[in-house]
Formats: sequence, structure tokens, C-alpha cells
Amino acid sequence: MTDPVHAKPDDRTLVRIRGLTTVLNGKTVFDKLDMDIPRGKVTAIMGPSGTGKTTLLKHITGQMRGKVGEVKVDGLNVPELARDQLFELRERIGYLFQNSALLTDFDVFENVAFPLRQHTKLPEVLIRNIVLTKLQAVGLRGAASLMPSELSGGMARRVALARAIVFDPMLILYDEPFVGLDPIALNQVLKLIRTLNETLCITSVLVAHELDAIKQVADHIYLIANGKVVAQGDPKTIADDGSPWTRQFFGGDADGPVPFQYPADDYAEALGFKQGAA
Amino acid sequence: MSAQVGRENVVLQSLAQIGACGLFLLRILASIPRSMRHAGETVRQLWFVGAMSLIIIMTCGLFVGLVLGLQLYYVLAIFGGTSASGSVVALAIYRELGPVVTGLLFAGRAGTSITAEIGLMRATDQIAAMEMMAVDPIAYVAAPRFLAGLIAMPLLCCVFCAMGIFGGHLVGVSWLGVDNGTFWSNMTANVDMWKDVINSVIWKSAAFGAVISLIAVFQGYTTAPTSEGVAYATTRTVVASSIAILALDFVLTAFLM
Amino acid sequence: MSQRKSYAVGTGLFIVLGFAALAYLATQTTSIANSHQGASYSVDAQFANIGQLKERAPVKVAGVRVGQVQSITLEPGKDVADVTLSIDKKFAQIPVDSVATIYTSGLLGDQYVGIQFGNAKTYVAEGGHFGLTKSTQPLEDMLGKFLGGGSAADAIGGTYSVKANFTNVGTLSVGAPVKMAGVAIGSVASVKADPVKLDALVTMDIDKKYDQIPDDSAAAIFTSGLIGGQYVAIQPGGSPNSLKEGDQLVLTQSAMQLEDLIGKFLVNGSSSNSSNAGSNGSSNTPAGKH
Repeated sequence: MTDPVHAKPDDRTLVRIRGLTTVLNGKTVFDKLDMDIPRGKVTAIMGPSGTGKTTLLKHITGQMRGKVGEVKVDGLNVPELARDQLFELRERIGYLFQNSALLTDFDVFENVAFPLRQHTKLPEVLIRNIVLTKLQAVGLRGAASLMPSELSGGMARRVALARAIVFDPMLILYDEPFVGLDPIALNQVLKLIRTLNETLCITSVLVAHELDAIKQVADHIYLIANGKVVAQGDPKTIADDGSPWTRQFFGGDADGPVPFQYPADDYAEALGFKQGAA
Repeated sequence: MSAQVGRENVVLQSLAQIGACGLFLLRILASIPRSMRHAGETVRQLWFVGAMSLIIIMTCGLFVGLVLGLQLYYVLAIFGGTSASGSVVALAIYRELGPVVTGLLFAGRAGTSITAEIGLMRATDQIAAMEMMAVDPIAYVAAPRFLAGLIAMPLLCCVFCAMGIFGGHLVGVSWLGVDNGTFWSNMTANVDMWKDVINSVIWKSAAFGAVISLIAVFQGYTTAPTSEGVAYATTRTVVASSIAILALDFVLTAFLM
Repeated sequence: MSQRKSYAVGTGLFIVLGFAALAYLATQTTSIANSHQGASYSVDAQFANIGQLKERAPVKVAGVRVGQVQSITLEPGKDVADVTLSIDKKFAQIPVDSVATIYTSGLLGDQYVGIQFGNAKTYVAEGGHFGLTKSTQPLEDMLGKFLGGGSAADAIGGTYSVKANFTNVGTLSVGAPVKMAGVAIGSVASVKADPVKLDALVTMDIDKKYDQIPDDSAAAIFTSGLIGGQYVAIQPGGSPNSLKEGDQLVLTQSAMQLEDLIGKFLVNGSSSNSSNAGSNGSSNTPAGKH
């Protein structure tokens, strides 16, 4: 709490989460979560389904505000920001939605140009150049006049990526970027994440399940379960730390710390085999 | 016992909905100055909401006028008062049928499409994406549609009334043989500019337009982001706006007459 | 971008169409259509009974509209209604001895002022006067006027009360208007049965403005239209003395029972179907014994 309001530019941590506790519908999603996301690196957040990985991204962007704990992005404590400050911060953050979330009213070009048109008064020529540069970066300059309904899933995700980087953000959050992609499209997106990170020095946060893909792209992996970080490390060493969580998750076992059975009452009793029942 | 609890819940839920809708209206009103930056969007919505409803409004207006002319002619003929058919058609259309029928058609044609569109934008994360691009969805999505509904309804209602008068004239004068001059002079003698056209046609339909588009935007904006959620919200838009139109009609009639 | 422009054009067209419709409604179907006449001149006419004539009612020559009724007033102390007609300058050549008559368009239609030309070589001018007038037809007094009895006069200047006895008040109720020459001058304050004379005692509050009604005036109970309410009509007499607070109107005419009238018609009709003979006789039998 004694941290200065603004982090030093040479601070190596871009996102710092301390003691984040979130309760949704009576269920504890995060329990005093601590996490540091290093500047200029690709960080992957993994974990079993339903552990609140997407919720964590929403905390970072302020779409959800935790009551307890702090989430500092570039020195700003997100839960305490006023709406205008939050919007200013969001202009510096790119977010790639799981289902791309392109605006169906506009074609590809206008989708990518949308943030520019909303926040700047740039001349049309400049907008055109910026948009075409970004589309070229994702390899879809030729698709500029297509409507979102005419795009395949992989193409739509690349367009969404072009839209997310149109302001050259400091941070990009990828929510499940590989889901539903064929191997070719998956590798294209993978290559893009790596290239953008290297060429633009963008800090990237990935939420994903695809272990092989993440091993190729991530510098650092967090494994969260039960509202806590249960393991972290670089891709090579994390699987070998010997905890039951990593063994189950990276080994793909059906049963383990994450139980196969959803919590239920006694099986024998439910079937009426117990004495005294019926 | 359980039925009673259920009924209580329905009442409480309706009250909660009305309250949430009112708060939503305040948010929209607060965002209108900001939505002026998206004036082009309001124009575009005016096209979808208003101009695209013209065909159905004109057709229905014509038929309402035709039916009204026919029905009233036969009723008035009993009293030997067919010369009054012009004024009766005009007054019936201006005071009640114009605003109410236009409102119901508008809820069916434009209200549902607003709800479905915003519901789908919600379901496909487009609303969240706007939030993430630091664009206020209330100012960009909700306010333009609300304003478009507010502006389009009085215009549509005027078109509806004009078509209704035309239909009534067609049946009364061209078909049933009421004298043309009597038809018009009777109408002009009994229709008051302020009371019937401004108060009833304009204010009433503007109020209906605001209520319909508010309900439509609200239902779309707060829908559950699933296909059932969107379908359910669309149905609720029609039901809620129909009830709201008829209830509001009574209140406004009592106040404006 | 061109896509957006087409929206703008279409939306513009839609707005123009909407306003055109509004302009059409406003100018062609409302009373504004009657008032946007050009230069006009006004002419006075006095009527003993204006019936249901209203302001802005048309003034017609040979059935063609030439102007409208500008104002209807009842001067205190007079028993005739002053009607000011505003006539288009176009129709400036109306002979001074023309007759102004109040007609009804159809049985249930609105009333209008018709002008029949006289033979004089001089024409009425601005501020002129029609000397010859004909009030609403007595038949219409009994049957015609459809729209209610009109509201009672406002009693801002205070009222004075006058009594009258009627053998039958029909459905006359408290608050019903009291009219003279068709214009409301007061209202009925109470209707009571007189225990001694065995008839109905009606008390009327009359606006103090009208304090010069002759004390030998007659009071009659009329019905405004077939389904209208009943009202008391004062028919002025010739006495030099005026009515005062508490005075009694001696000459009265009770309510004509519409049921009686209609009943007679009905009995007539049905009996003429069954037997042509004696239809006169049957009409004399008391009808409406329901």
C-alpha cells in the first residue's frame, strides 16, 4: 500500500496483483491471489476450466472490480480508477476476445479503423495507412472489404488482433486465442503473438489450454487452481516441480486434486442402498 | 402457498424491471451529450428504425382508414349522419388509432429488431469489445437507437394518419358517395390543430416512441447472452411495450384532453 | 463511406416525408384550413336563437363557403344573439337586403349560416349589418340538435335566482343550463316537488349580467337533440319591468316528452300497417304508457 502511485518506467513488472479476493454468486473465485506479469514478456495463465482465468483478465481491464486487494497496471490501481481514467487506460490495452467480437455492421477495414475513428480525428489518408499496415501485419490486407460474416474463425481472430494493436498498446490480453482453430490457423496466430511481442515489445498475457502451443510461445507460465497460484515457472521447468497439480494438469490425468466427480451427496445413499433408507 | 410466493415474486420482479429500466433511462439521458459525437450512428439508426418501417406503417394506415370509413359509414347511416364521416374518421385516427396502432406496429417492427440486434451484440461480446476499446456502449449503441425511436415515431404517426385519412376518403367519397366537399368541410370544422394534431398525434406518439425504444434497448442490453436469452428478450419487448403503450395512452389521454 | 451517405440520404427523405405528412394533416384536415383565408370583412347579424351554431362555423352562399362565423355574443339586456360573420373580400357583392339564415347540414350535422341574396343594388361593407335573419328551425329545436345542451354560463359576475313552477320537468336536473335565444345565461340550482301545488318548483341562478329580462317572460323546458340533456329556455316577454332576485316566472311550458312524441309516431306506423282506418284516433290515445 506504500507503493508510489506511478511505477518507475524501468519497473520490470507491468501488472502487479496483490491479495485479490473475488466472490461471485457465493463462490470464491480468487482467494488472496498474488501475481506479477513481467514487462515485455509473454505470460501464459493456465488452469482447469472454471478457475476464473477470463475473470482475471476482466479484473486487469477493470470490466470487473474486486472489492478486496489491488490490481496495478503500469502503476495505476484499477479498482480505484474513475471511469474516464479507466477508459484512458483501456486505450493502452488490447483485448482479443475468444469469439473475436467483430462489429457485424462494419466490414473488416472499418472494424480495424473503429478505435481510431472513435478516439482520434486523424485525416482519412492516415487512418487508411494505419489500418492497412495493421492488416498487412496479420496478413489480411486483401480482405479489407469483406464483412465479418464472410470470414473464417482464424481470419476473424486475426482481424480482431489487428484491431487490438491499432493503437500500438503496451499490453495485449488474449482470451483463449487458439480455441477452435485448425493447426494452420493456430500456428499463424502463434507466430503473430510471438512476432508482435518481439517487434513491438508488447507485453502479452495469454489465457489458454493448449500446452504444446504455449510451450512454444510463453516465457512464463502461471497455473492457477482453487483461486490461488499453485505453480509457476518457465515452460521447461514448470512440469517438473513435482506438485500434484502440475502432475495432473500437464499429465492430463482424469482424477487428482481436480476431482472427476462433481461434489455430491453419498452415492450409496442416493441409490437407496444404505440401511434405514426407504 | 407456493403460488402466492410465486405471484409475489412476479410483482417484485416487475417492479425491479421497471426500476432498472428507469435507471437505464437516466444513463441514456446522461450519455446523450457524449453520443452527439456519434451523430452519424443516430442517422443510421433512424434509417433502420424509421424509414424501414414506412412500408408496414403506410399499408396498415391505409387499411385502418378503409375499414374505419366503411364501419363508420354504416353506423352513421343509421342516424342519417353520413356527412359527419369525415370528421369522425379523422378524430378516431388522430386521437386514438393513429398513435396507438403506429406504436404497436413500431414495437413489432422496430422494437424487436433493436432488442435482437443489441442482444446479439451482447451475446457475441461486441458490447464488451466496445467497452474494451474505451467506447461507451450506452453512448454508441443505446442512445442513438433511443433517439432514433423518439424522432421516428411522430413522423411515422403523421404518415400513418395521412394514409388513414386517404383510406377513409377513398371509401367514404369515392366508393360510398359521401359528398367530397362535405367530407372535408366537416373534418376541417371539427378537427382542432392544437388539441388533435399537436397534442394527440405528435406528443402521444413521441411519448410512445420513447417508451418503446427504451424498452427495446433495455431488454437487448440486459439480455442473457445466449440464443434463448435473445429470443426471450425479444418476446418481452413486444409484450412490455404493448402494455406500456395502452397504459400510457390512458394516462396521456386523461391529461392531454 | 458511400454506404453511410446513402443512409443519410434515405433518412433525410424519411424525415421530409414525415414532415410533409404533418403539414398535410395540419393544413388540410384541421380548422387551420378554414382560417387561412385572405382578406375578409365582417358583417353583423342578429338572431333570436342561434341553436347550436358555433364560432368558425361556415358561412355559405348557395351552399358554397364564403366565410366563417367570427364571434357569437349575447349583449346584456338584449334577447338576441349578436353573430359576427367574417366574409372573404372576394365575395364583396352581397346585397344589403340579403337574408341570413341558420341551417343545419343534415339532420344531425353542424349548423351554418346561409345567405340568400336580396335585390338591392347596394352591397354590405365592413361593419355592415344583415337586417333580415331567420333563426334555427323550430323542428330542429324539438328533434335536431345532436350535440349536447352546451355548458352553463360561468357565473363570475354573481347570479340572482328566479323560480318557476312546471307541471312536468322531465329529466331536468340540477346544473342544467338556462338559455335565452339559445345562449346559456345561467343554470338550474334546484328542482323540488311543491307539496302544496303538487307540481315541480325549479330554482334558476341567472348571471347578473342579464338583469334586464322582462318579468313576464316565459320559461320552457326543451331537450337539446334526440339524446341530449334538457334545459330551461327563457322566452322574453314585453313588460317594462325586469326580473329580480326571488321573482317567480308565471308562464311556463313543461317538458315535451320525447317518448310521447316518438311513441305516437310508432303507434301510428304500426296501426297503419294493421288497419288504415282510425289512425287518427289511435294517435290520440295516450301513448307511452310504459
